[in-house]
Amino acid sequence: MYKIFLYTILMISYLGLAKALSPSEHGVQYLQNERAFPKIIKGNQSTAILIDTHATGFLIKTYYQKYRVISGYDNVEELIVRTSKEFAKKNMKNIGLALFAKSDAIEEFLPLPPGSLYLGNREFGEWKTNKKGKTYWKFSKAFKNYPKYLGWGKFRPDPDFFQQMRSYTSLNQPYYGPHNEFGPTGKITQTSFPQFFREERMKRVEMKTLLIEYFKENF
Amino acid sequence: MAEIFDRLVIRILLAAFVCLMIYLYRYAHVVFYPTVKRQVLKKINPSENPADTLHLFSRLIGISIIFSSITFNESSGVFLSLFHFAVWGTIAIVLYLLSLYIIESIVFYNFDYTDEILKRKNMSYAFISFCHAIVIAYLTRTVMMEAENSLVILLVLWLYMLVIVGFSVKYYTFISKLTFNRLLIQKNLSLCFSYGGFSLGAGFVIASCFDQEHYDITVYCIQVLLKTVLSLIIFPLFKKGLVKIFPIRMGEQRVHEGQIDTEMQSLGYGFYEGSLFISGAILTTMIVNRIQFGTIYPFF
Repeated sequence: MYKIFLYTILMISYLGLAKALSPSEHGVQYLQNERAFPKIIKGNQSTAILIDTHATGFLIKTYYQKYRVISGYDNVEELIVRTSKEFAKKNMKNIGLALFAKSDAIEEFLPLPPGSLYLGNREFGEWKTNKKGKTYWKFSKAFKNYPKYLGWGKFRPDPDFFQQMRSYTSLNQPYYGPHNEFGPTGKITQTSFPQFFREERMKRVEMKTLLIEYFKENF
Repeated sequence: MAEIFDRLVIRILLAAFVCLMIYLYRYAHVVFYPTVKRQVLKKINPSENPADTLHLFSRLIGISIIFSSITFNESSGVFLSLFHFAVWGTIAIVLYLLSLYIIESIVFYNFDYTDEILKRKNMSYAFISFCHAIVIAYLTRTVMMEAENSLVILLVLWLYMLVIVGFSVKYYTFISKLTFNRLLIQKNLSLCFSYGGFSLGAGFVIASCFDQEHYDITVYCIQVLLKTVLSLIIFPLFKKGLVKIFPIRMGEQRVHEGQIDTEMQSLGYGFYEGSLFISGAILTTMIVNRIQFGTIYPFF
């Protein structure tokens, strides 16, 4: 009994020490759910686009998410966070969408196409009409790289897109674009964030194939 | 040809220099063991006192193990490399003998070298001392290699190693059925094999904890501490497992310490325990050091 007690104390001490002292425990912030975004992302006019998600561990999984954080007046950066199982699972279908947007005092936690925060904001751009009479959103010169950062590719939002997005927001529903262009099944997301959709990550490997490959590599 | 011959001459010169350093060590040994002056400074008669021979020559093996970690960089000049060897060799001798002195003071706090080795010719004492000499040498070698020619780091790591070894030798009473002090007085060989296995095993584990890449001394020390605690968690699992896999036949009354009466039985039990400790420790180093969990970054 005495030995079991000592052994338990030893295990607790190890876990406590590892948690407190191990360098691997530092540096990666924890995001419990969407409400924790403001603690991590401080800048104004900021948006966080979920660009990748990953789980490690055998029996007890640890979930990580990778965000592209675009702050209106700062640089674009990539942020890796550790997150809860619920939040990670919930957002598997929201890859390529902005999960957080902060504009002045307003914080938006609804999954929306990236860049929704800047649409209609005269500080960042304006609605323009081209020669064919089509109206689209154009970022001003200072933010000319934003379509690239936001993963829009050749896509440019029009006023219909903007109105539809606002109506979805008022209904408190996520929005994936008029023809589901954004999200894991969306073409724009798949083109802009190819790392997540890499073939080797998507395919399910059978045990037989895995063993054959192992023997080929090692013997 | 001239170049090859020159290199051979350098090697012979360095071998002679190493012998000179070992000769210096012989006298340094006397500083820490003044009672051996008579044996060390005169010609040694191995058959007169085998226990003393084992005790003395275990130190020689130890210092050879440590010297093997020092490198000669001939490209920086023969004299500079000799000087480097002399400096680090002297440091190694001092640290090694100091470590042995401290650890033996902890383990043999009830015993005296003169009484046990010179008067009683206690082979059990000599064998345990032999194991200490090898283990401490191996650990000092590991620490010297990790220090990478930095004296400050060497001192920090050496002290750290000494603390861990000091605690580890006390761990023996928790995991062995043999009573150390009583059996050592009885010159029991079972004890020396059991304790020998334990100390060599502990040496493997501690050396493996120190053997890792380091960029920052604080982070390195934390990693060593964590690995040591982890080893303390894993080792009993192997020990229990090995006992279950290889059960021994001993009557219930004989399981208790002091019940192992005949010489053969006790010797067998010493081998058994010692083997369990060594194999358990080696398997522990595998679990603690050889599992690569990878990182998330290749995926991200």
